[in-house]
Amino acid sequence: MRKSILALLLCLLPVVATAHDMSGMAMPHEPELGASAAFDAHGRLWVVDAADGHIRVRHSDDFGKTLSPPVIVNPVAERIYDEGENRPKIAFGPKGELYVSWSQPRAKPWTGYVRFSSSMDGGRHFSTPITVQHDLADITHRFDALAVDGHGRVVIACIDKRDQEAAKTKGQPYLGAAVYYSWSDNEGRSFAPDHKLMEHSCECCRIAITRTPSGKVAAFFRAIYGDNIRDHAYAVLRTDGQPAHAERATYSQWHIDGCPHQGPGLAIGANGVRHAVWYEAKDGPAIWYGQLDPGHPAKHKLKIGGPGAGHADVAVHGKTVWVAWNQVDAKGYALMLRRSADDGAHFDPPHAIARSTVAAGSPQLLTRQGRAYVAWDTAAGFRLVPAGTR
Amino acid sequence: MRRLLPALLFALALPALVLPALAHAASLTALSAGDVPALLKPPAHGERIVAIWALDCAYCEANMQALAKLQRAHPHEIELVTVATDDIAQQRTALAQRLHVAGMDAYPARAYAAATPERLDYLIDPDWGGETPRTLVIRADGTRTGISGALPPETLQKLP
Repeated sequence: MRKSILALLLCLLPVVATAHDMSGMAMPHEPELGASAAFDAHGRLWVVDAADGHIRVRHSDDFGKTLSPPVIVNPVAERIYDEGENRPKIAFGPKGELYVSWSQPRAKPWTGYVRFSSSMDGGRHFSTPITVQHDLADITHRFDALAVDGHGRVVIACIDKRDQEAAKTKGQPYLGAAVYYSWSDNEGRSFAPDHKLMEHSCECCRIAITRTPSGKVAAFFRAIYGDNIRDHAYAVLRTDGQPAHAERATYSQWHIDGCPHQGPGLAIGANGVRHAVWYEAKDGPAIWYGQLDPGHPAKHKLKIGGPGAGHADVAVHGKTVWVAWNQVDAKGYALMLRRSADDGAHFDPPHAIARSTVAAGSPQLLTRQGRAYVAWDTAAGFRLVPAGTR
Repeated sequence: MRRLLPALLFALALPALVLPALAHAASLTALSAGDVPALLKPPAHGERIVAIWALDCAYCEANMQALAKLQRAHPHEIELVTVATDDIAQQRTALAQRLHVAGMDAYPARAYAAATPERLDYLIDPDWGGETPRTLVIRADGTRTGISGALPPETLQKLP
C-alpha cells in the first residue's frame, strides 16, 4: 500500500510541478543572471541576487574572486523578478546601512510589488521585507530602481500601471505605463506616499538612477513620446514636496509598439556632466553614448555599438568615462569596453575585456578609488572584471 | 503530509482543469541554435512568417493574432510559426497556456531552449536587438525582412 501511494505521488510529481508553475511559484533552479553589485564606502564588494525565492547578499574582500556565504534577506520565500533587466538592487546609507530592493511578481502576468529590506549591522541580519508602494492593486509595480540621496534618504522609483488601469476602466486608450517614486526619511522603515513622476513610460525597461553632485537623486528612463516614440526622459526625483518634472533627453525617434527590453545607463560626474548610454533601433540596433541636456538632444553623441551590442552601462570618475556592454555573436558573449580620458569628448577604440560562451547578464560598471570594474554575472559564476587603466 | 495534502488535491483536480485546454494545443517544441538554419530556410513557395514573442511582452499576443488572421486570409501563401524567447524548460506551461488563450493552437510553436538566449537572438537575426514582438518574413526567393513592434494594418497588408 505504501508503495502504491509512493508510486501515485511520483506519478503526480510532474503535475504538482506544473501546478506550481501555474500558481506562479518558481521551481528550484539555478539562479538567474539578475545580480547587482556595489562597493561600499570601505571598498568591500557586495553582490545581491536571488535563489529559490530568497534574496541573498554576499560580499567579497578580494575583488570578487571569492564571495562570502550568502546571507538570506527574506526568510520566507517569495517570487522574485531576477532576470534580465529586472533584478534585485543594493545601495548603502551614510552610516553603513545596507539597503536591498526587488520586485515580486504577482499571480497575473506583468504584475508586481516593490519590496525592500535593510541591514543595520553590516549585512549580518536583514529587516522583515516591506512593500514599498502604497497602491496594493495586483498590477505592475516593478523594475524598481534604488538610490540613497545626500541626506541619507532612500529613494525608490519603479514602473507603475495604475494610470493605465484607470484609463482601461474608462475605456480610454493609454500608451505604456508610468514611472512613480517614493522615499524614506527613516532608513527604510516606511516610505512616503507614491509620487507620480511621468505618465507614458516604457513598460519593461530598467530605470537608471544615480546621485547628482548636489546629493539629489536623478533618474533616466525610457518614456513614450507621441505615438509610441520610445525615447528617454531625465528627472531629478525631488523629495522636498515640490513636483518632479521629467524632461525628454534623447531624440532618436525610434517608434515601436513593443517592448525594447533594454533600459538606459546614467552616471553623473562631480562637474555635473550627465553621461548616458541607451539603446534604440530606428535604423538597426544601436547603443549610443551622449551627455544629457534635458529638453534638448544629447551632446557628444557617439554610436558605441551596432548589431549584437546590448545592455550598456556607463561610469565616470574625474574626467575618465567608461562604457561597457555585451557584444553577442555566433560564438558567444564578449564584454566590451570603451574609455574616455577627456570627459567623454573622445573614446578609445572598443576592446573585449572578457568573454563567455555561457549566458551573461547585463554588465554593471562600478568604480572604486578611481578605477573601474565591471560586475558580470555569467552562468559560470559571478565575475568582477577590471576595466583596465589604458 | 498536512502541507502536501492541499497540493495533492490540487494536483488531482488540476488535470481536469487544464488538460482539456491543452489537449488541443499545438505541441510546443524547443528551438536551439542547431534548429535555426531550418527555421530560416526559405519556403518552397510563398513566405514563412516567424512571430517572435515573449511572456513579458504585452504587445505580442495581439501581434500574433493579427498575423494568424493574415495567414488565414492567405493560407497557401503564408506559413506562420511562433517563437517564444522564454526558456522552454522553465516556462513550458505558461507559454502553452498563453498561446492557447490567444487562439494560436493551430500554429507550430517553438520556444528557446538555449543556454545563451542572446546568442540565439543573434543567430535568428543579427539586426535584431531582442525587442519584442519581432516579425521575421522569409520569402521563397531567399529574401528576408525583420520588423520590430506590433505591426500596424498597413504593414500587415503589404506582407503577403
